Amino acid sequence: MMLPATLRLRMAAAACSLLVLYTADTARAAGVPAGTLIENTATVTYELSGTPISIDTNTTTITVAERIDVVVTRQSPQVLVQPGETDRVILFRVTNTGNGDEAFTLAIDSNVAGSDFNPVPAATSIYFDTDASGDLSPGDVAYQPGDNDPELPPDASVDVLLVNDIPTGPANGDIGRTELTAASTTGTGAPGTNLPTQGDDGVDAVIGTSGGIASEVGEYIVADVEISVSKSQLVSDPFGGSEPVPGATITYSITVEVTSAGTASNAFVRDPIPQYTTYSAETIELNGSPLTDAVDSDAGEFDTSGDPAVVVRLGDLSQADGPQVVEFRVTID
Amino acid sequence: MSDLIKKGTVTLFAAALLLASASVVAQQLDVRTVVQKEERVRAESGEIDTRLVPADTVLPGEKVVYTITFTNVGGETAGDVVVSNPIDSSLTYVDGSAFGAGMSVEFSVDGGQSYATADDLVIAEGTVSRPAEPEDYTHIRWTLDGELEAGATGVARFSATVD
Repeated sequence: MMLPATLRLRMAAAACSLLVLYTADTARAAGVPAGTLIENTATVTYELSGTPISIDTNTTTITVAERIDVVVTRQSPQVLVQPGETDRVILFRVTNTGNGDEAFTLAIDSNVAGSDFNPVPAATSIYFDTDASGDLSPGDVAYQPGDNDPELPPDASVDVLLVNDIPTGPANGDIGRTELTAASTTGTGAPGTNLPTQGDDGVDAVIGTSGGIASEVGEYIVADVEISVSKSQLVSDPFGGSEPVPGATITYSITVEVTSAGTASNAFVRDPIPQYTTYSAETIELNGSPLTDAVDSDAGEFDTSGDPAVVVRLGDLSQADGPQVVEFRVTID
Repeated sequence: MSDLIKKGTVTLFAAALLLASASVVAQQLDVRTVVQKEERVRAESGEIDTRLVPADTVLPGEKVVYTITFTNVGGETAGDVVVSNPIDSSLTYVDGSAFGAGMSVEFSVDGGQSYATADDLVIAEGTVSRPAEPEDYTHIRWTLDGELEAGATGVARFSATVD
């Protein structure tokens, strides 16, 4: 009898743990909207021969000019690629951090200094992540410069995908970079540059600290690490035999091994407990050493946050580490 | 009938007189507001100076300075002189900036219904209260400690940043 068991092993390349925090739209992060009129009238009261009198001053009016600012952030971690792959995607976010409605032109550059190899922009290399999947999907709209430049209100953002092909040359661990640039269509330049009447509602526009233009680099890393994973089981029934009957114990053994050059970073084993079986408490072992069920400082746990599963973290794994053996037991219900 | 008409005329006349005297009284104090902003200029020595220039347009984050001037242009001494100024919702008061020679300064956090000194203002949040912050202020009030004699001028001033 084969019990259903799945094994998932995830790996990520080294130095991929960059976490991009996005500041959600907070009220007026960009400041008072361009075109706002700020009026002020003071009132003076006084008494003259016992008679109270109140008078208002003149009203002053100041106009809030438009500050042009933009930020580009990378939303994808370092993307693992294989040589020769096509249409590999890195996700970026363009945010209007100015205080007026602003349109931005987008541009891709895949010849970024410091790269080990240059990715090759696809025929259509800039898409909007229209369906918010974070990846290139059939519903995503292609960007056409000057035709559908994204127009963003203050604090609003749009997610943008850069699409590159990976050349066949690069070796394991090589990094290729691609850069997204967003530039205000109203103007760019030195911070403080005044653009009279170019702002919303004809107010003055002023270039902000970003210069009205922002760029961010995303990275592809060639990671052709090969990993072999095998799983075996040993059944022992309550009668001294090996029949998978109710009450029998199954000992699972999962072996993970890197079989090529390179390092699989943050590798871990996650093995759901099969249907019709119950996990036997405190039976997880890694290379013969017991690990507690609790979520604590050791490398493994019995994870009951979703479907029950055994989780063991193997860390950064290379060929030199040799085979890693995870064992645990279940009983058949 | 003719008596009634006469009475009505007299009453109207009296009302006109009152209006006339009120407008005369109102001119006793000449009041005005000016708004400026700080501009940084590099002096020939290389030092950066700030000076106040008229504020027509501003950017978020810029500081503006309001100056309210009141002059007693009449012949009588004016008493109980109080200047009040709302803080626009697009502005945040700069802590400690309100000033006026011979005047005490108070703030309101309830749209000008009540005033207290900065240290005494609290914001009630449910069952607890916290000290008020400059961003809570809705109004500023300056009270002249003495009287404003004929020909005298007073100045009230505060700064705010554009949100």
